[in-house]
Amino acid sequence: MSTIAIHMAGPTTSLSERLKDPAWLLLPAAAFLAFIYLLPLFDLFRISMSGSSWSVHFERVFAVSLYWDSLVRTMEISFTVALLCLFFGYPTALLIHKTSGWRQAIIATAVVLPYFIAILIRTYSWMVLLGKNGPINKLAVSLGIFDQPAQLLFNRGSVLLGMTAVLLPLMVLSIYSSIARQDPSLVRAGQASGAGPLAVFWRVLLPLTLPGMGAGFLLVFVTALGFFITPTLLGGPGDQMFAMHITQQADFATSEGFLQALAVVLLVITLVVVAIAGRFLGFEFIWGGNKLSDSTKPSKQRHPGRWTGGAFSAKIADGIGWPLMRLLSRMPLSTGTWTVRMLGGFVLMVLTVPIVVVMILSFSKASFLTFPPPGFSLRWYEKFFSDTEWMTAFTNSLVIAAMSAVFAVTLGGMAALGIVRSSIKGKSAIMLLLVSPVIVPPVVLGLSLYSLFLRTDLAGTMGGLAAAHAIGGLPLVVVIMAASLQGVDRRLEQAAAVHGASPLTVFRTVTLPAIAPGMAAAAFFAFLHSFDELVLSLFLSSAQLRTLPLRLWADVNYQLNPVLAVVSTLEVLLVVGGIALARPVLAGRSKALA
Amino acid sequence: MADILAMRAARRDGAFGAPETGSGSDTRSATAIGSSITIRDVVKTYGGFAAADHISLDIEPGEFITLLGPSGSGKTTLLNLVAGFQKLDGGEILVDDKPVHNVPPHRRGFGMVFQSYALFPNMTVTQNVAFPLRMAGADRETTERRVAETLDIMRLSEHAAKLPSQMSGGQQQRVAIARAIVRRPKVVLMDEPLSALDRRLRESIQIEIRDLHQRLGSTILFVTHDQGEALTMSDRIAVLDAGKIVQVATPVEIYRHPSTKFVASFVGESNLIDAEIVQKRGTTMTLKNPEGYVFSAESRSSLDVGRATVLVRPERISISSTPNASALPVTVRSAIFLGEILRIEAETASGERLLIRCTDSADRALPAPGDTLYASWRAEDCWVLP
Repeated sequence: MSTIAIHMAGPTTSLSERLKDPAWLLLPAAAFLAFIYLLPLFDLFRISMSGSSWSVHFERVFAVSLYWDSLVRTMEISFTVALLCLFFGYPTALLIHKTSGWRQAIIATAVVLPYFIAILIRTYSWMVLLGKNGPINKLAVSLGIFDQPAQLLFNRGSVLLGMTAVLLPLMVLSIYSSIARQDPSLVRAGQASGAGPLAVFWRVLLPLTLPGMGAGFLLVFVTALGFFITPTLLGGPGDQMFAMHITQQADFATSEGFLQALAVVLLVITLVVVAIAGRFLGFEFIWGGNKLSDSTKPSKQRHPGRWTGGAFSAKIADGIGWPLMRLLSRMPLSTGTWTVRMLGGFVLMVLTVPIVVVMILSFSKASFLTFPPPGFSLRWYEKFFSDTEWMTAFTNSLVIAAMSAVFAVTLGGMAALGIVRSSIKGKSAIMLLLVSPVIVPPVVLGLSLYSLFLRTDLAGTMGGLAAAHAIGGLPLVVVIMAASLQGVDRRLEQAAAVHGASPLTVFRTVTLPAIAPGMAAAAFFAFLHSFDELVLSLFLSSAQLRTLPLRLWADVNYQLNPVLAVVSTLEVLLVVGGIALARPVLAGRSKALA
Repeated sequence: MADILAMRAARRDGAFGAPETGSGSDTRSATAIGSSITIRDVVKTYGGFAAADHISLDIEPGEFITLLGPSGSGKTTLLNLVAGFQKLDGGEILVDDKPVHNVPPHRRGFGMVFQSYALFPNMTVTQNVAFPLRMAGADRETTERRVAETLDIMRLSEHAAKLPSQMSGGQQQRVAIARAIVRRPKVVLMDEPLSALDRRLRESIQIEIRDLHQRLGSTILFVTHDQGEALTMSDRIAVLDAGKIVQVATPVEIYRHPSTKFVASFVGESNLIDAEIVQKRGTTMTLKNPEGYVFSAESRSSLDVGRATVLVRPERISISSTPNASALPVTVRSAIFLGEILRIEAETASGERLLIRCTDSADRALPAPGDTLYASWRAEDCWVLP
């Protein structure tokens, strides 16, 4: 009797032991990233220092004014874009927060939807909107503002506009999550204490959402540093950004070493900014502040007291701050509301109008891009679906994206389980590693992978491309699935276990159903990431293996034909469908966060 | 008396938004006078659901009035309407006989305490408490003095430099109260301020708020779903149910003479006995329960024939183990020993439940289930619901 009991207890404990600390689930993702992500980056550093002395290539980067100027320009543009995003993003986030019901759903969708549409397509839509035959020129001419269509593209203004529009959703989401986290009665407490809406905003809401603003600002700044697609398409000769030099140099085989040095400079600047930001905000800002409960370390209690000033600022507050605040409280209640509505409404237009225009143009009868279209037809859809080149690219993209999603979900799902459920030390560091591909400029990643792919014959293969895309898909999967796993009530699992379910049965019957929606959403976003990926593909594909974004890229650069509008419309439909499917999951997530 | 009236007039003139801060007069020694609040036929609907359904209530200056009701009864809605956080759909609210519907919340000059404390997490205790004064335009010196005074009253002086996150729930709630009273507002609104605290802390802060009320003289509008809290603290209680006020009266009146079955069962434990009216003479009624047990009761009811519901509080029932012609025989279902009190659940022959609370005494054995007891009550201990 007792021997039976021991036999039965034996395997059960060892299994539950293993499930209790599933740190080993992190291994596949770690191995994958080590081989395809860390090793190439390490090689990049090595080659960049392979000159006659380690610094010879770097000296050239900083000595040639072409590169130095470009570096300064890149910083300027990124900083301006981040500022613009902050200025326009905050009212938009407030607008989402202040509306409710279907209005909120529409506004939130108008912000989130563009976020998931390929940067290439959104940039293309701005080219259409600002083009000589575009609606803005047409409108300005008909109103008599311009005598003839003006060149609105290919200048610093169009670069700033395009990049701001592309990156705004990132900022809005970052600020919104910060606002939504606040106790709503704080605003009422402010009002009950005699503070008008603007005073409440300035003294209460703004200081409390400063971390969210900081996170959004830095995310936008860092992403903008590595931007390549938008400045290439919308900028003129005077708007060359640093990442563009890297792709241009990549065409010359002679620049080995120097090319890598350029990439290293960009990467190091990015990492330094992220490191400084992480020091102040916590590195959680990279993946949206969703803190993981680290069992080995109590979560840091952040003290916002650092905004309390000294004696000097007290004097300023007495002399200017408080009287101004009281003056603002005299303003009619509606002033703030209207400011938010106007700025937020403007942002929503900037985000949606270009896409809507492109969608309308895809049904145009005309043989070139002109708005409004002279008539409607499906001729460009027919052209797209009957053109074998487009169709091959389309199928290639579908297959690669599906493969990439499988890679990312398998590796990322296991890693998420490993990081959430294990009691491993240094979870934050591991999470940082898993999510870090998000901040590495795609150009740098593409360049570093290029030599690895040549060496291993992966270049131009579907599997290789899918794996490369999975580097960026992995962080998305890890973040979504970790959040989804944290939402699972551990007591349900304990209840199942107490009532006799083995650990694997518990996982199959309780855990898996609970995280299945999160997994589906993760798979969709990983798929979309690969489907939209352009920059890595530019480095890694061959003439035989064209993806849809590559085909788009070629056409955007040479002829702006309406087939591109068709592809854009199809992409929008894909995203809308995916979001509609993933909506319950996302809603559940935001509820869990709030 | 004339003094007080003059002061009151002065306060009225400066109503809403500009509490006299730098006037030099120390408002702490001269007891502040609260405002009267008149709620007249107030309606608030949320998509067809009436959260406030034609509510009228007159609140005296300086009164401590509690809105008591279950969740969803409309008490918080009513408080938010008074605070100005929500717009009226009908009726009006007057403060010191002036309508306030066009006055935004930040210019009503009220103090407010929230269930979640709602302390500004980015400010220290001192900065939190100073906030209303700075918004009202008090200079630094006055602010410092008043903040120090208020922190002293709330026994928070040693925590002045702390951030809310470094304090316990009870301390945070005291800071929230300090912030609400620092301007010596004429009206303080409290939205379930104690519900997040544990029982012992809750009781000590109840007493603190009560004392504070006497010291400040402000009108306090207090919202709670806890009937014990309402009975302990209030001058008057307004019981709400489904967006309507069911009864407004003093705690004693509410407990002893509830106006409806709802009030009777919501406030305190109760036995509601169905009985037939046999006879009515003056304020005394003779009634008969279904088993034929005849008893008399006090009543202000206009009924004189037919059926009535009689309230008998469990602690008013006396029990005996010896049969008695004027007592109702009941069978014990359970008896629980609660320390100083025995809680007995019994059943009459017709199956009606009877709850009895009696003090424990050494000479009485604990009744066992199945025992027969004889319950009786005096005429003045029961109340015929109108």
